[in-house]
Amino acid sequence: MPDIAQMALATGFLLILIGFYGALTHRNLLRMIVAFTLAGTGVNTVIVAIGYMGGRTAPILDATVPAAQAVARIIDPLPQALVLTAIVIGVGVTALMLAYALRLHDRKRSLDIRQFTELKG
Amino acid sequence: MTAVDSLFLHPILLLALGLGGAFLLGLLGDRARTAYGLTLGVLAWMVWIPARWLWAFVQEGAPPQEIFTAGTPPPFAINLRFGLEEAALALLVNLTGLFTALHLKDALLGQGRRAMAVLLVAVMALGGILLTRDLFNLFVFFELAVISTAGLVLLSRDERALGAGFKYLLVSQFISVLLLVGIIFAYHATGTLNIDGMAAANLGLTQGGSLAFFFIFLALVAELKPFPANGWALDIYESAHPGFSALFSAATGAAALYAVDKLLLVGGSAWLPLATGIGITTFVAANILALPQKNDRRLLGYSSIAQTGLVLAVLGQRDILGEATPFIAFGILVSHAVAKAGLFWLSGLVAGRQLTDWAALAKRPLLLFAFACFIALLAGLPPFPGFYAKWELAQVLAREGRLALLALVLLGALIEAGYLFRWFGYALKREAPATSPTCPAHKALPVLAALAAAWALAWLWGDLSAGLFGRSNLLLALPLLFALGFLLLDWLPAWVKNTLAIGGLVGFFLLTWDDYDPLRLIFALIFTLGGAITLLASYHAHGRRIGFYPATLLMFAGLVMLVQAQDAFHFFAAWELLTLGSYFLILRGKESEPHALSYMVFSLGGAFLILAGFALAAAGAGVPNLYLVDLVDLVEPIAPWVFLLLALGFMTKTAAIGLHIWLPGAHAEAETDVSPLVSGILLKAGLFGLFVLLMTLGPQTLYGVDLTHALLWVGALTALLGNLLAIFQEDAKRLLAYSSIGQMGYALFGLALMNHLGWLMALLFVINHFIYKSMLFLAVGGVAKRTGTREMYRMGGLIKLMPLSFIAVLIGIIAMSGVPPLSGFGGRWIFYNAIMDHDSRLPMVILFMAGPIAFLYLFRLIHTIFLGQLKDELRRVKEAPFWIVVPQMLFVVMLLVFAVVPGLALRQVDAYISTFFPTGALQWEGGLITSQYGYWNPVAIMIIVGVIFATLFAWLLFVNRRAQMVKQFNIVFSAERPYRPETTHFAWNFYAPYRKAMGFLTQPFVTRFWGTVTDLLHTAGDLGRRLYDGNGQHYAFHFLAFVVIVFFVGF
Repeated sequence: MPDIAQMALATGFLLILIGFYGALTHRNLLRMIVAFTLAGTGVNTVIVAIGYMGGRTAPILDATVPAAQAVARIIDPLPQALVLTAIVIGVGVTALMLAYALRLHDRKRSLDIRQFTELKG
Repeated sequence: MTAVDSLFLHPILLLALGLGGAFLLGLLGDRARTAYGLTLGVLAWMVWIPARWLWAFVQEGAPPQEIFTAGTPPPFAINLRFGLEEAALALLVNLTGLFTALHLKDALLGQGRRAMAVLLVAVMALGGILLTRDLFNLFVFFELAVISTAGLVLLSRDERALGAGFKYLLVSQFISVLLLVGIIFAYHATGTLNIDGMAAANLGLTQGGSLAFFFIFLALVAELKPFPANGWALDIYESAHPGFSALFSAATGAAALYAVDKLLLVGGSAWLPLATGIGITTFVAANILALPQKNDRRLLGYSSIAQTGLVLAVLGQRDILGEATPFIAFGILVSHAVAKAGLFWLSGLVAGRQLTDWAALAKRPLLLFAFACFIALLAGLPPFPGFYAKWELAQVLAREGRLALLALVLLGALIEAGYLFRWFGYALKREAPATSPTCPAHKALPVLAALAAAWALAWLWGDLSAGLFGRSNLLLALPLLFALGFLLLDWLPAWVKNTLAIGGLVGFFLLTWDDYDPLRLIFALIFTLGGAITLLASYHAHGRRIGFYPATLLMFAGLVMLVQAQDAFHFFAAWELLTLGSYFLILRGKESEPHALSYMVFSLGGAFLILAGFALAAAGAGVPNLYLVDLVDLVEPIAPWVFLLLALGFMTKTAAIGLHIWLPGAHAEAETDVSPLVSGILLKAGLFGLFVLLMTLGPQTLYGVDLTHALLWVGALTALLGNLLAIFQEDAKRLLAYSSIGQMGYALFGLALMNHLGWLMALLFVINHFIYKSMLFLAVGGVAKRTGTREMYRMGGLIKLMPLSFIAVLIGIIAMSGVPPLSGFGGRWIFYNAIMDHDSRLPMVILFMAGPIAFLYLFRLIHTIFLGQLKDELRRVKEAPFWIVVPQMLFVVMLLVFAVVPGLALRQVDAYISTFFPTGALQWEGGLITSQYGYWNPVAIMIIVGVIFATLFAWLLFVNRRAQMVKQFNIVFSAERPYRPETTHFAWNFYAPYRKAMGFLTQPFVTRFWGTVTDLLHTAGDLGRRLYDGNGQHYAFHFLAFVVIVFFVGF
């Protein structure tokens, strides 16, 4: 019986793969952006799943966990915070990509990535 | 307490200022000018901080700064480090940012404060990448850089930039997923995100950790735009605003490289080969792909990618480079960054996007000079940092036996130099548009700043190389300084500069003549006093002649430094300097663009062989600083390879057959007074190199082949084919050029005989060839100037109109053909004696055959130009300009004097050669010179020949006293108008019968061979670049394919 962390891990990777597959196979800019948000969610799931270190306690420094032993006994809170940061960055990038898609559409009346190949070679 | 402890200089401000400035801009309202002023102010502050710290680190011995955010050490908080390397790179990044803001003035004012905020964030993010020691923080800064890059791409007016930005975002999404997954697994393996902590935990070595590291590593390497996962970057380079591209190339590249460097610390030495592999593949591939590029910015993009790859390859050699790593890596990196930023900014001044559109710069000498400096900087030529870095890199790679890598580095560098110098040729020689580019101050300033930085770095790296490796700062070399001084004096009229140049050459000789051994003295004489005499011809030029004197003096600086060089480093530096100077000189000719390029590529190829040869020799001798005399101690198996590499390198300069195709065009198309400089004088550099080589290494055997015997064959064939090709030329200067090839063949043959008289003969050729070839080139150049053509059949009968030129040519060809009484005969006499001492019959026979062929072209030269009928349109031709005739007459006197008293120059050398070959020396007694086979009495010969000539001449006059002069028009034509007039001229295709007999030997096999090589490279580049079809999805796929391939190949 796999534990929750492993299931989350598998789900996360599956999401990443689905996202990559989508981003590589769909020609429509919006669909590609959606695929990337899927992959991003997958990554966040993976981070949450991995960031947990078995056998340790929450990162609250109090009587049970004196500051001197903290390094060995608590979970470093940073990875959990990473997800938050990653989400924020993900939102930013997604917004930027959407803005790009809008402008690209204004230019050629098309959202097909194959339309934007003037630069090459 | 030091001054840097001031709060205003705290390194955290590098981040805080950028962010704070960006926020402040948001509060400012729509006052674009104020916002722009604020942006510049913030950036200037961000420049000042690392600059001041750099000073503190270097001069005041300040320790590296550890900055703990949140007041806690890692792993619970992010820490930053600010040491020497970070300060240097931050200065580079922020300076680029500041000047980019300046260059982008119009675009930023047009877009308003939001764009300025994005620029500040971009610069801040790059600073963060440099400073942070936390892996996740690194990811955040990378994402910030990505977002701000995607924003700044839109500053371009080019609509295509939109597509490029989207493709970039597309690929960076894949990269960031890889990076994040890698980071979290790395954290899982080590329990920390701190880079140093991971390094301590040996992340790269643990089982799962190495896969995590692989992900992180490839994600960061992807930011370096490795081949083939770099199509997105090229599109950005091509379409973005050039001001931004400068930042993207110089600053982003530098920051990403430093990130990879930090990461390699975590991975440990096991990952170094992978870095080298990716780096060198990218370097070579990007350079090949750049070959067929026509768009300037895309070309710069390819070059950026290549240079970044090279630095990555160097970082991957950290295990053997050790302490030298920063010197080499930074040397290449700053060269690339400064040059690339400068070139992108320059491209903002050029209206068209084709490489040929850079001809617009032709009318702006300062910008053109900047262009030349940037290209020299990229090509790693002295005195710029890349040169020192290249030298040290080659030394270490050879010492550690990584020869394949060395070969690839040099191959890539040669290709890169090829397309860069081709581009420079376009800028200088292609037709400039009618309107020269407008050059507002805010766009000129960044270019000039980059130019200043280039020279400052040249000084710095010279200083470092002297301090760290015991080489020396080339910018302290007097000849080079003298040459560079002419850059500042270029506003003076040409005759003033000419006087200065001649004075400098003579003065330098007087200063140093005591330093030389007799052999070097001969070369030094030719390089200084010979140069001074030849330069007399340059008095005929009017105006300012911008660019001529710096180039000429640069060549002479290289030449005299070559003779003075005691160690391999200085020898090689001098070699590259003279190559660079002579390239600019040759390029001045009207039609010389392709020939100058071919000269440059062959010369640099030869120089790289020399570099490799010296590096190998230093490795073999086991010395850190190889002196030329150390070559004596080399033994098998290295010695023959060193011999081969050096000999090939030197023979590119002497234009031995197979490596000669650059010479005819380069010498023939050069200006009138340049041809003698590059023929009479410059070719001797190659012979000097061969002298040094044979004096020290002596005969060597490789796979049972006696290499000097091979040289003998090369010399003989060069003499034969050079002469043969010369007789079929219609162009008088080309004829002389091919004749030089033949003459160099003789000299090579003499050297390769490896006996006393052989060397003496080679030396005699050195002197003779200098005198008569300089004289002939001037004479023919003077005639060409007056007649307006170089094709001999268009001349004729000029003997009366140009009697002095006729005398010069007459004396010249008598001397060259080796008939008595002039010095050429002495050469022959020594030569016949020399081959008696040797038993290689077949090459000797070939060389004998070459002799009469020389008569043919010499006869053609004098006969066709000066004898026969005078052309109607040439009736009013005058004697050549006074100053072109003066040196010719001096040369005539020299030839005559040298013919009567050859001992003047040769006696000392004869004695000197005896230290190498004790037997076979000549006896010098009064006017009589005796060998073991006979004697030579120059004075007697002169008298005898004089008497015979006078008698015959008198007799001819007597029998012809009633002869009637036939004028041109008492011939009757048969009422036909020939379709091509020249075909009816007797002097056209003068030796048609010989062509029938021997023409098969003159087929351009060699030209075709090298043509095929370049074609293949171009084709490879053309095929390769089809990979980049413009589809962003395909680019993303390239990235994934890259990851998979590297996984299977390198992991």
